[in-house]
Amino acid sequence: MGLTPPSTPAEAAALDAASPNFITTRLDFLQNWARSNSLWPMPFGTACCAIEFMASAAGRFDLSRFGMERMSFSPRQADVLICAGRLPFKLAPVIRRVWDQMPQPKWVISMGACASTGGMFDNYAVVQGIDTIIPVDVYVPGCPPRPEGLIYGIMMLQKKIQGETFTDPTLRQEHLVNSDGLFLEPQRIDELSEPFGNSVHQTRSA
Amino acid sequence: MSVKPVNPPQVEAELPGSFSTRYMRINVGPQHPSTHGVLRLVVDLDGEQIVSLKPQVGYLHTGFEKTMENRTYQQCVTYSNRMDYLHAFAHDLAYVLAVEKLMDARVPVRAQRIRVILTELNRIASHLVFFGTGMLDMGALTPYFYCMREREGLMDIFEAVSGVRMNYGYFRVGGLYQDVPDTFEPMVPKWIDAFPKHTDEYFNLFMANSILKARTQGVAVVTRDMAIDYALTGPSARASGVPLDYRKAAPYSGYEDYVFDVPMREEGDIYARMAVRFEEMLESCKIVRQALDLLEPGPVKDPDRRISLPPRRELENSMEAVIFHFKLVTEGFHPPKGEVYVPTESARGELGYYVISDGGSMPYRVKVKAPSLANLQSLEPSSIGGLFADMVINIASFDPVLGDVDK
Amino acid sequence: MSGATSVAALRAAFGGAVERDDLICGDAVVWVAAARSHEILAWLRDTPGQDYNYLVDITAVDYRDPELPLEVCYQVRALARAEDLRVKVALAKDAPLVVESVVNLWRGADWLERETFDMLGIEFEGHPNLRKLLTPEDLDGHPHRKDFPLGETPTLFNDGRFLDPAAFRAGLTGRNPGLTGWSGGARRGVTSTEGALPGEGRDKA
Repeated sequence: MGLTPPSTPAEAAALDAASPNFITTRLDFLQNWARSNSLWPMPFGTACCAIEFMASAAGRFDLSRFGMERMSFSPRQADVLICAGRLPFKLAPVIRRVWDQMPQPKWVISMGACASTGGMFDNYAVVQGIDTIIPVDVYVPGCPPRPEGLIYGIMMLQKKIQGETFTDPTLRQEHLVNSDGLFLEPQRIDELSEPFGNSVHQTRSA
Repeated sequence: MSVKPVNPPQVEAELPGSFSTRYMRINVGPQHPSTHGVLRLVVDLDGEQIVSLKPQVGYLHTGFEKTMENRTYQQCVTYSNRMDYLHAFAHDLAYVLAVEKLMDARVPVRAQRIRVILTELNRIASHLVFFGTGMLDMGALTPYFYCMREREGLMDIFEAVSGVRMNYGYFRVGGLYQDVPDTFEPMVPKWIDAFPKHTDEYFNLFMANSILKARTQGVAVVTRDMAIDYALTGPSARASGVPLDYRKAAPYSGYEDYVFDVPMREEGDIYARMAVRFEEMLESCKIVRQALDLLEPGPVKDPDRRISLPPRRELENSMEAVIFHFKLVTEGFHPPKGEVYVPTESARGELGYYVISDGGSMPYRVKVKAPSLANLQSLEPSSIGGLFADMVINIASFDPVLGDVDK
Repeated sequence: MSGATSVAALRAAFGGAVERDDLICGDAVVWVAAARSHEILAWLRDTPGQDYNYLVDITAVDYRDPELPLEVCYQVRALARAEDLRVKVALAKDAPLVVESVVNLWRGADWLERETFDMLGIEFEGHPNLRKLLTPEDLDGHPHRKDFPLGETPTLFNDGRFLDPAAFRAGLTGRNPGLTGWSGGARRGVTSTEGALPGEGRDKA
């Protein structure tokens, strides 16, 4: 899932051909400036962090100054998915589908301890980090993170975006999984996670 | 066995015939701007009218109760406030009251008064979010910013007291974590005195607004008998004429010392549910003022060393204090065997923790009687026959918090 | 505020079906036979003088030892008289865990019974829509049963041991020594904290 290195020599050659120069860096600057200053967030708010996200969007800690006041609740029109709150297993296919529906370029901010690592809920019900399901760009720790913390994370994402380049074709490449690929049998999951075991295999543990 | 999410058999059985074009089944959520959390609704529509409505919950099930069975009693306080994150102090209070009843702990009066002040301020904060997001569902953007602005003042108070804006770890079994800072006593009256001017403004902005009245009066009525039958509690039930407020019916933590009214309405429509919460905010201000007037200096923890940690300066001199500290922090205290249920009133309704102890240092079973779970059952009967847009504000009017529903 | 008077009336009306009763922390709790639980709850709701018209909660408790039963708890309240009563139905673990549903008495029992079914596997006979409420469809088992693991991420030690955090915590319940071997001392069979440690009186504020 997500981003992969070049698999064939032809792909590697294509990568070498598009090497950066002065014009491309100026165009990169323009593209990244536009993207980072008008990130439209898709608030995937589940729990307490969603309320702090709402407070960030409100008057005191204004997200509008970052160009982020237009919350797009439709993933089709969103740039950054902000997962605010704990993600139970029942909600995991939903966030995956929502992320899949977002068009590139897209980024993910994992807001809060529960979204980043499962937080204080190390149990059968909570996904131990949304990065097990979708690729995450910025993790914002906290329980819940203060609005200033979230804004720091957003600014960090803006810096990350400003380091991107359009000459790298693999950067925004996404391998979409088909509808069967999302669900793996438990035995297959065990095979894939062989050396260390599968810590997500919680309810079926010995 | 490849597992895919399937429609529950009940929903499948009710699907209209596949060539029928009259009814349309749509899915609202779990990710949706207005479902107040991850609530999923499967709605069958006849045009704009709702024919059937099946809420699917569980998208925020975190396993709180099972996790609390594996934490000591004091550690469980960190979990209780993350269930209903909007009225977190209510959950903390309900939990510590239950454990204190089990342990027969004596909470000092000052701690009780501070608990009441903070819980009522948190109730106001929760109702402010209710109005902010409820009006957002109706398409009004301004009240959201005004209500969140008020709430920021309350967050400052909570931060001064507990160090965090949300998910406070301030209540303990036996009292409070520590006494309130000196800035507390000037900050709270300043905010409380400024609040009624704002509520007058809000009343003119939305409660007296003709568009709001046209949208909410007579819509999604819950009758009194329906409310009792469906186990509806809290402001939503009081809006239907059920005279139940646990602060009056079963006073706890010193509520019997305060003089306040419990707003009630008879109509049971969305406007009544909003009006009850509006008036409750002002009643909470009254309670806070009275509690502040009655606040006297004193201890804030049960002096019993088997429950409360010893003061830190004693750890320098006393070996017994170190031993107590060690045992309380690593192992925790042991309530006697037994079970207890203490009903309290949260911003959503009746909240109670049913705690069963087996004599160990961790609860044997904790069952949270969550008001939002029972309240959400009233969504279906009150929305059927109404319009889809009304259902959206109906969900807002029951004020569910999905962390409370799904635990 | 406890429903102690109702217990006496229950015994008079139902005799042997009321197995025992107790007053725990000021709450009246009564255990009734599973076969007549619906009848008893209907009697509590409908009889003038009892009028337990409001259902507070339905839950269940799984006691760890296999010979102890699973108890389904109904918390009901008489709004007019401001009285609470807890009715418990003990279900032995070697028989099917079935109890009659009270949805036809209180419509609010719908989701509460579904939650109890989901978490503990108790079947409510006559419930119109008994399926899981909170856990995902692919979760097998009933989480609040004592034999269902909490599911914590195991810790991998340098020497290759893979240990479940609950194994460290087990000693704290006083029942099994867990990994540390510490069985708890004063915790065994403790019934109150009075006099648990020498030299310290219990100060009352």
